[in-house]
Amino acid sequence: MNGLRTTVGRSVRVITAFWSANVAEEAQYRANFVVSVLGTLFWLAMALLTLAIFFGQTDRLGGWSFWEVVVLLGVFNALGGIVETLLRPSVGRLAEYVRTGSLDLVLTRPIDPQFYVSFRRINVWRAADIVLGFALAGFALIRLGIGDWGIRIASFLLLFAAAAVMLYALWISLMCLAFWFVDVANLAVVFDAVFEAARYPASAYPGALRFLFLYLVPIVWTTTIPASALTGQLRPPVGILAVLTAAAALVVARGIWRVALRRYTSAGG
Amino acid sequence: MTDSPPTSVRPRWIARYAALVRAGWLVDLQYRAAVSIWLLWGLIDPLISLGIWWSIAAGGSIEGYDRPAFARYFFAVILVNQLTLAWDAFYIDNWIRGGEMNHRLARPISPIHEAVADNIAYKLRTAGTVIMLWLLAAAVWEPVRIPIEPARWALAAIATLFAAAIRFLNGYATGLLAFWTTRATAIMETQYGISLFLSGRIAPLSLLPPAVVSVAGVLWFPYMLAFPVEILTGAITGVDAYARGFAWQVFWLTAWFGAYRVVWSRGLRHYGAVGG
Repeated sequence: MNGLRTTVGRSVRVITAFWSANVAEEAQYRANFVVSVLGTLFWLAMALLTLAIFFGQTDRLGGWSFWEVVVLLGVFNALGGIVETLLRPSVGRLAEYVRTGSLDLVLTRPIDPQFYVSFRRINVWRAADIVLGFALAGFALIRLGIGDWGIRIASFLLLFAAAAVMLYALWISLMCLAFWFVDVANLAVVFDAVFEAARYPASAYPGALRFLFLYLVPIVWTTTIPASALTGQLRPPVGILAVLTAAAALVVARGIWRVALRRYTSAGG
Repeated sequence: MTDSPPTSVRPRWIARYAALVRAGWLVDLQYRAAVSIWLLWGLIDPLISLGIWWSIAAGGSIEGYDRPAFARYFFAVILVNQLTLAWDAFYIDNWIRGGEMNHRLARPISPIHEAVADNIAYKLRTAGTVIMLWLLAAAVWEPVRIPIEPARWALAAIATLFAAAIRFLNGYATGLLAFWTTRATAIMETQYGISLFLSGRIAPLSLLPPAVVSVAGVLWFPYMLAFPVEILTGAITGVDAYARGFAWQVFWLTAWFGAYRVVWSRGLRHYGAVGG
């Protein structure tokens, strides 16, 4: 127990050191913050216009009303912010570490390599996407005018965290392919393409696509489930299942990482 | 080149282009995985839009588009988009900021020829795959099929060629703005955002508000994608509509070529001034 506490304590100290160095570095480029926020606002506007076009022809999308889909869009933007802030700058570099051999340096450090690779860098300005996403979702919820905020927000935060964990597991598994195929710098692009599907509710897709985005690549539920916790359409068993799935995905990702790493060291020795 | 008789200029250019296209083809060959990943991107976005319209059109037809018409439309988008795709803006921005432009300028041939050749190679490589995917889809799924009318197909092919040229020059000229600004790629992405609507990526143009459609009609966006797509699906027919569309394509091709010439010559002077 004591050992665990030291490990956790040390990990927190290490992350704090990494990230504060990172923030200090990024603070030199404050114009990037403005540009990043303007970019996010532009794409949110494009997404809202797209919804306006869809809802010009219908008043329900897979059973979701306009403002409910806007809640989902906010959640999508916030999750995208997690990807850009945390995942892409850190896990996204794994392929580069493997290709250039700088993973060797990571392995010699007195710290769990997966931990190091996962949290080394953040892109702090993109955290604005998370804030803007939550703000949009909040605005849409006010337009929907619904009560019992406490339980909705609590369950939303839990499921949002589960979705973030799920995305992390997907990223690390995807990036581990770099240990087998060296030219996978573009794998992040596969994720980006498929993640686009998560901007609409799962129920809006016809059978074949739903199968693809919901089961084959479990991407759409990462936004649909937290968003439906906010709009009050979530059935509790689905929520519990989502949390368990995220936990399982984390364990599987850890397994994939271990297998991949064994392959790497064996190639070196 | 100056001392050679004019008759030999043409074959020499053909030989140069053949060599450049071959080089581009071989480079792509090394990045087969990357090329197929980009293909995947080109598939998923139109499929998402199709999925959403498919569920909206459950009740019947929307502005003349029923479910099969949407399927036909978005599969044509996949095809034409792949054949007109151009990434040059992102490369050029990188080259100018990273300094790689310098050794490209030192070559005895203007960088744009290399870019044109790379685009031809990339399109030759991906065209086969995307046409095959499209034929496969048409074989198993009736809505995707397009009636066999050679004249229409030929017109669509010509319009696609123009669209590819406009999109290439548009991207190339925009990328060259990196001579002045570090945000050239942001300008490119903004144009992409606008093209979601005005090029007909999210929805066929006729489903947009009429005011938007008339603004789109005088800009370059629909002529980079929607126009050839709608010839292919049969949404655009009649000599008048064809003539108007091709006239606009010629206009925007000329305009973007002019823009490229201006940006290139001024940009080089600006770049040289900084370097010297």
